[in-house]
Amino acid sequence: MNVSAGKMLFIVGLFSISAFAVQMFASVENSEEIAIHPKADDAPLFPVKINPANQLAEIPTDRKDANGNPVLVSCQSCHGVRNPNPKNGSTGPLVSFHQDLSFVHGKLVCISCHNPEGSYSDFRLASGESIKPEDVMQLCAQCHGPQFRDYQHGSHGGMTGHWDLRKGMRQRNHCVNCHDPHKPAFPLFRPAAGPNDRFPPHHTKETHE
Amino acid sequence: MSDSKASLPIIDHPEVNRRRFLKTAGATLGLAAWAAAMKPLLELTPEVNADEFLQKHYRELTPEQKTVVFKRLEEETKEEYNADVTISDPQPMDNVLFGYALNLSACIGCRKCAEACHIENNHDRASNNSYIRVFEMDMGGIDFEKGNANYDHPVPAPGKYYMPVQCQQCENAPCVTACPIEATWKEKDGIVVVDYNWCIGCRYCEAACPYHARRFNWEKPEIPAEEVNPNQSYLSNRIRPQGVMEKCTFCLHRTREGRLPACLEACPTGARVFGNLLDPDSEIRWVIENKRTFVLKEELGTRPRFFYYFDE
Amino acid sequence: MVEAQNPPSPAPQNTSVVLNYLGFLRRATGVATDGKWYFYVWMIIMFGIALVGANAWAQQVRDGMIVTNMSDHVSWGLYIANFTFCVGLAAGGVMMVIPAYLYDDEEMHQVVIIGEAVAIAAILMSTLSVVVDLGRPDRFWHLIPGIGKFNWPLSMLTWDIIVLNGYLLINLHIVGYLLYMRYLGRKPNPKWYVPFVFLSIFWAISIHTITAFLYCGLGGRPFWNTALLAPRFLASAFVSGPAFIILSMRVMRLLTDFHFSPKPANTLIRIIRVSMCVNLLMLFSEIFTLFYTGGTHASSAQYLFFGSHGANGLVPWMWTSMFLNIVGACLFFTPAALRRENTRIVACLFCIVGIWIEKGMGLIIPGFIPSTLHEVVEYSPSIIEWKVTAGIWAFGLLVLTLLLKLIASVFTYDSSRTITTEQNAGLDETNIKSIPVETIS
Repeated sequence: MNVSAGKMLFIVGLFSISAFAVQMFASVENSEEIAIHPKADDAPLFPVKINPANQLAEIPTDRKDANGNPVLVSCQSCHGVRNPNPKNGSTGPLVSFHQDLSFVHGKLVCISCHNPEGSYSDFRLASGESIKPEDVMQLCAQCHGPQFRDYQHGSHGGMTGHWDLRKGMRQRNHCVNCHDPHKPAFPLFRPAAGPNDRFPPHHTKETHE
Repeated sequence: MSDSKASLPIIDHPEVNRRRFLKTAGATLGLAAWAAAMKPLLELTPEVNADEFLQKHYRELTPEQKTVVFKRLEEETKEEYNADVTISDPQPMDNVLFGYALNLSACIGCRKCAEACHIENNHDRASNNSYIRVFEMDMGGIDFEKGNANYDHPVPAPGKYYMPVQCQQCENAPCVTACPIEATWKEKDGIVVVDYNWCIGCRYCEAACPYHARRFNWEKPEIPAEEVNPNQSYLSNRIRPQGVMEKCTFCLHRTREGRLPACLEACPTGARVFGNLLDPDSEIRWVIENKRTFVLKEELGTRPRFFYYFDE
Repeated sequence: MVEAQNPPSPAPQNTSVVLNYLGFLRRATGVATDGKWYFYVWMIIMFGIALVGANAWAQQVRDGMIVTNMSDHVSWGLYIANFTFCVGLAAGGVMMVIPAYLYDDEEMHQVVIIGEAVAIAAILMSTLSVVVDLGRPDRFWHLIPGIGKFNWPLSMLTWDIIVLNGYLLINLHIVGYLLYMRYLGRKPNPKWYVPFVFLSIFWAISIHTITAFLYCGLGGRPFWNTALLAPRFLASAFVSGPAFIILSMRVMRLLTDFHFSPKPANTLIRIIRVSMCVNLLMLFSEIFTLFYTGGTHASSAQYLFFGSHGANGLVPWMWTSMFLNIVGACLFFTPAALRRENTRIVACLFCIVGIWIEKGMGLIIPGFIPSTLHEVVEYSPSIIEWKVTAGIWAFGLLVLTLLLKLIASVFTYDSSRTITTEQNAGLDETNIKSIPVETIS
């Protein structure tokens, strides 16, 4: 596996906000190739690239750095020496760290996904089988089968590039690009400006009802 | 009786001559007043010129004539908008019929698609025009009477779902039938286009369209030079002249080169699926064959190529 | 009567037809533009209004249709509303012709030409109403078959262009021929105009039917998408056309010396009585269907009659129209309407204005409100639109005045240059007395 700039920073233990930023840039270079559906004809197809998952290897603490940003700490610094609480399914009981982490994801508990036997930033499937970070979509797919099926058929998740893979490549979002795994519900959006018709409705329905 | 006889021959009658003089003077004055009244016509934009006036219908232009026309249009854009643009003319691809599907369960009504369309297609800035109109609908029915396109609050709102509407690229397009001069027609890949240099602006197509998909250029579009999208094509996103119709072309300047439409790329939820209906392995075909899709106003027999669906 | 008593003119034998016709045109122009002071005042006012309209239109062409109050929601407005009414007026103009020729009503023959003149002016007005509605009038040539691209027979608009222009030509021919023969002092040869008269009857029905098809063929607009639209158009045209002719005849009787017998006007009033009943019946039938069924099909009618979603811009218009139509219809049924009194004039004015609203603003605008996606965006015409429309009406009235003036002059005093004492001897006393002084002195 390539060692990205983010990894380097992680290894030397520099907790700085720049780590996230650099990782985001690095992640684009790191994309993996998955040919989602090969065409029947033999024309050479361009790849469909999926953005990698943003790796969550650190967690913000209550300390602030010089810029006022929270200081990040590696999962491993604590979980390397602590025994996990297998029943914990919320951030409420967590007295140190994790305070800014809200966890709203069904009835899952932390170790439903985080592998307590590994480095905690690693993941495991429901079967207990450990999975590689790049296969993390499998983790989501365990429960969200229909979404995964739709994703595989191009009808779930944003994309850019070419509809015709004979002409060019396509870049696709990863599950966690849009859904925070700890709080996967899509956030509310402030919509872009609406139509500016010359004669807007006399009464919008909202004011009328 | 005697009067009537005396009046003949009329020509030599002094009274008649005076009258004739007065009439001629009156007519001259009238003509002058007419010319004065019509004076605003002299201030027409330079795009109304002899070349434009005599230009033939797009489908009758030879490749050489097209080159000349596109060059002229590029120069006019430079002159009037101070923007360097290229006007291309991508042709329909073989064995391609475009289709579009939209997942109403996924759409959150953020209007990112409408915004992307606004930028991509060089729409007039002041009117914030877009080929896409997003309706906030009440859960429990597909009733546009309860819809609202002017919402302005965080989305998605509780109890609502969102329905973007744009050109449905009908197989049996009422707008094409309506046009008296064939200024709008359906291309081989299913896209209904407008020759902006042929349209006379009668707006019959706008009355005929059941989907509010067509827009009229009520005035000359205004776009700052730095915001002009320079990647233009004759039949799609070049800056439209005043007084003609325009419509969504599924971004044919992109899609005919294999790229995805701008509205799809902008969608943050992946609610939009675009592809070739003739390719059995395409995403659009999978959606149509596996989802419960429907088209708008199916009862009108327009046979849209724009499909809506809900997840489970 | 008058025509029957004129012996053929001796002159044409030694003069070419073309020269004769040019002479006729020259004389016609002269006669049509001669008049008393109030004629000139009227013409100058009308010309002035036409100029205001022309100027407003020129501004609209320069600045774009943004100067109108139309929008992508209500994409047709006052212009097309006025167009629809004028087509009806033109179609109704030949209502003189049907009793005259189909029922061989001798007295109607005399005044048929007035109906034709109204039709000519109305067609010009409707054509102008469409021209000013175009976003790019400079590209009008795209509409010319052969040179442009004419989407015939698919587009109903191409049909409309054909029938409107055809109708204009037919009526110009009939009027021109009858006047020219009169000018030559010859009896018109039925071979040269009776077939055209019959053609114009069918054509009159076709122009209004096809104009209705323009709207009712649009599946996306439920308010228009009704088979009853064309019959309703015809019924209302058979009211507004004759009503307009009655008004024209009254004006001519007061201001010129063209004498009418009272019979033709009474025949017209009988036509109006029936047509107005049919029109109102069909209107109520439409209203019943819409409101009793309800649902989205009724939403336009709901907006039109009662307002919806807090928008009610057309409500006063429509109730005014209903009031005028019903009161006008009742007035036509009073015995007084058959006398030469003001009752019929008031009734005509009521029905004309009532139908102008019903077939114009009350038909075109609600087709767009709510829009196809059920958005309620209101429309009321801008100053520019009013100016242009007034200009079109002024121009139409100007043309009509000239035509009626010419007709009155030609029919009361033979403006032929070859008039002779013998021919004058053939004229009866009334006609001699009625020679307009201003034409000859």
